[in-house]
Amino acid sequence: MTIFTFTIILLFSAYLAGLLGSLTGFGGGIIIIPALTLLLGVDFQYAIGGALVASIATSSGSGSVYVREGITNIRLGIFLEIATALGAVVGALIAFWLNNNVIAVVFGIVLIFSAINQQMKKADHTDVVGSPLAKRLKLYGTFPQKDGTFQSYELTNVAGGFSLMTVAGALSGILGIGSGALKVLAMDTLMKVPFKVSTTTSNFMMGVTACASAVIYIQRGNIEPGIAAPVLLGVLAGAMTGARLLKRLDVRLLRRIFAVMIILVACNMIYNGLRGNF
Amino acid sequence: MNNSRTDIQRLIGNTLRWGVTIASVIAIIGLVIYLLQHGNESVPDYAHFDASRPAFTHLEGILSGFAIGESYGIIQIGVIVLILTPILRVALSFFDFLRERDWLYALISAIVLATIFINSVTGFK
Repeated sequence: MTIFTFTIILLFSAYLAGLLGSLTGFGGGIIIIPALTLLLGVDFQYAIGGALVASIATSSGSGSVYVREGITNIRLGIFLEIATALGAVVGALIAFWLNNNVIAVVFGIVLIFSAINQQMKKADHTDVVGSPLAKRLKLYGTFPQKDGTFQSYELTNVAGGFSLMTVAGALSGILGIGSGALKVLAMDTLMKVPFKVSTTTSNFMMGVTACASAVIYIQRGNIEPGIAAPVLLGVLAGAMTGARLLKRLDVRLLRRIFAVMIILVACNMIYNGLRGNF
Repeated sequence: MNNSRTDIQRLIGNTLRWGVTIASVIAIIGLVIYLLQHGNESVPDYAHFDASRPAFTHLEGILSGFAIGESYGIIQIGVIVLILTPILRVALSFFDFLRERDWLYALISAIVLATIFINSVTGFK
């Protein structure tokens, strides 16, 4: 295959990954890894570099809108970024010693978890009584409603959320993905943050988390220019199309079909990982 | 108070958008040159990871590649701009918290910045 053909295929795959990632809420990074490894036969070490680039690009691209609308809780994001950034460093260090097959199995498990988590109903968390620590850290916030008024909220279990964020950061560091499902779980289930705030804040944090390990990975040679450029451009274009379509389409059925597809891909990853095929 | 909050939100939002836009433009230019320079060659062996290519893993290599219009160097500069974007966003928050005399959050942003800075300098290799 020539570089030209490979680039065109990769641009197209990254576009689809960005499009589906934004329509289904999975994120571009998590889809680009199976596209690169299973479809194009790229080594996991390069795929992780590509996923990092995709994660940072989509986080910054969509984050710019949510932050300006005032949905993202910037204090909460920065506070938890201590946990994810440290976790990401640990993850990037661990990944260096992990065999590709182990990474494939870990990735498969994360995929299954993300698919199940995406299908679960999310609570709205109104009338949460916040913890004193959350109050002292000034983590309470407000977010805009459809009618233009601001809804205020409190949150709790800062220590639990912080610990789970370290794990989310470590997984981001190992796999290059945003670990959105785990981040939302920490904020939604443990800290009782309103769903709209936890998803946008998770997305906001993804960029910094990915950067903390990207500065290690780029020096190690995992970020290959011939892969990074098509992935960056394809995923961004796909995510932009997705954001536009999302306003007009009802994506519930697509999300359900896609969750099943993700689980099938995950099984494939785990099977090939256990067989030692990577 | 509320006004300054909207200001910093707008500033952070714009920083993220401009960072991604600039990174993309550089990546497009780099990719076009890459295809013109190497498009007809066969694909490198991406099936096996090779860490020994300092030309685009070290800043000097990337910068000198960029300076002579080498496509790898240009693309990596795009990647570096992309990586710097969220870091710049934390730095902006840091100065905003200082301005608001919110010492606790100035410290928290400083810890995040320091973590990333230490990583990038040592590289943990």
